[in-house]
Amino acid sequence: MSRLVAVAANTFRETVRERVLYNLVFFAVLMTLSGLLLGQLSIRQDEKILKDIGLAAMDLFGTMIAVFIGTGLVSKEIERRSLYPLLAKPLTRGEFFLGKFAGLAFTLLVNIAVMTAGLVLTLLATGRGLSPELVTAVYPILLGLLLVVAFAMLFSTQTSAALAAVFTVGVVVAGRFADVVRNMREVAPGVPPWLAETVYTILPNFRNFDFKDRVAYGEAVPAGVLAWVTVYGVVWIAIVLVLGLLSFRSRDFQ
Amino acid sequence: MPEPLALVTSGLTKSYRTGHIIQGRRPALEDLDLEVRTGEIFGYVGPNGSGKTTTLKLLTGLLKPDRGDARVLGEPLASSAWRFRAGYLPEHPYLYDYLTATEYLDYAGRLFGLPAPRRREKTRELLALVGLERSADVPLRRFSKGMVQRAGLAQALVNDPELVILDEPMSGLDPIGRRLVRDIILGLRRAGRTVFFSTHILSDAEALCDRVGVLRAGRLVRVGALAELLRLDVQHVEVFASGLPENAPGLESARRERVGERLRLEVDEPDLGRTVAAVEAAGGRILSVQPVRQTLEDYFFREMGAAAGGASAWGEG
Repeated sequence: MSRLVAVAANTFRETVRERVLYNLVFFAVLMTLSGLLLGQLSIRQDEKILKDIGLAAMDLFGTMIAVFIGTGLVSKEIERRSLYPLLAKPLTRGEFFLGKFAGLAFTLLVNIAVMTAGLVLTLLATGRGLSPELVTAVYPILLGLLLVVAFAMLFSTQTSAALAAVFTVGVVVAGRFADVVRNMREVAPGVPPWLAETVYTILPNFRNFDFKDRVAYGEAVPAGVLAWVTVYGVVWIAIVLVLGLLSFRSRDFQ
Repeated sequence: MPEPLALVTSGLTKSYRTGHIIQGRRPALEDLDLEVRTGEIFGYVGPNGSGKTTTLKLLTGLLKPDRGDARVLGEPLASSAWRFRAGYLPEHPYLYDYLTATEYLDYAGRLFGLPAPRRREKTRELLALVGLERSADVPLRRFSKGMVQRAGLAQALVNDPELVILDEPMSGLDPIGRRLVRDIILGLRRAGRTVFFSTHILSDAEALCDRVGVLRAGRLVRVGALAELLRLDVQHVEVFASGLPENAPGLESARRERVGERLRLEVDEPDLGRTVAAVEAAGGRILSVQPVRQTLEDYFFREMGAAAGGASAWGEG
């Protein structure tokens, strides 16, 4: 366990030193500009737009970090051979793989926490009240991002960082339109129902982590729904991580 | 009581997949039976592509063997117990360039579960050993290739290993760095450690090794002490002389070659006295007399020069 924590801590340090958290500066600028520009709109409207922009930015920046850093976590280590001296030590491949995941998960947590604080501060600074319901949208976003990281790591165990990024983006985009796939019969009647159902089943539905609209209108996500999303997210993350781990463990490092 | 054998492999075999659509397999290592004794420096030599790095990667778990097995420090290869007692330096190591040398060694120490005070002490000690104490807090991205190699060697020693596995440890080093690494390897032997290292630089193997294993095309062709492999008796004597013509009388039996102002004479040992007398009689001056023994390189060129493709086979890699 201590070795897994060591890998996670080093991964977090890597992301900080590689200036991943610089996206927070963009977020701060975005929030400040939005706060200033939206002052002209009606109170109810600008609060919704601010929350919309803030939550969408968290999702977007987080997804970019999850995809582009996540795909490099393992593949760059393999390409640069930096994992060779580590795996010859008493560090199992499982500890290495899960440590990398935990490190980037912590980076995303810090990132999302700071962005949430930034959004709340912007709302307060522009005369809006505290919006505790924001957390009920932020938490599912974080779960979705962790699933993106798991996919990025799965793909990066067998291919280059660039290809893994392409595959991961593909899964994320398809997963965001999973409902469209399920209802494909309505737009394309020729598609066999079993095909649409199979594709829907093997794709994670990233819409399940999206409560931005609802929360932007000031409505909190019920605890029961959050519990369901937690189970959905954790099961998916676990499945993809196990697949990634099996793939990583079976790999030869030529 | 340490195990008499630090490393034993039996029938270790590895092949690599070739091709994408029509897949075949290219043998990289075949039926390797090797024993490395505790406390010795064992050199693993062979031309490029002979299977040296493959062997070391199989031993460190970076590759999985097709068949065969190994025991390291008395433990099965699959066990993780021996990894606490071994160190490994890969060929052309790449270390995290966002870390300093101190941070990297601390990280390596954490993976062995060393407590923080021990890690700090060990880091200082190792940086001094590899001559990097003045660059302790410099990010590794600013290190030269030779400095990275030295930092890589330091991380391989962070756990005071009983067995040190080094893949081309002299690669990328300048003469000072090579001398330093040689001294470290010899120091490890004095401390009772076992060193198993691959090299394509035969003079390093010759200077350091108690025994060598010679690999060719994935097969171990010879193992033994250098004295067994090489003819250590004097082959001939090389005499450099000046101030005499190439066709001076009395030198007919010597192989002669003009080197600038000097004349290089290659004579059999029994003829040395007669040759020296002939040089002096002809008014020449003896500059040096050097007995020539067979080197490991001579051995290679004699035994497998043709198969190895001559000198080019000993390039980097």
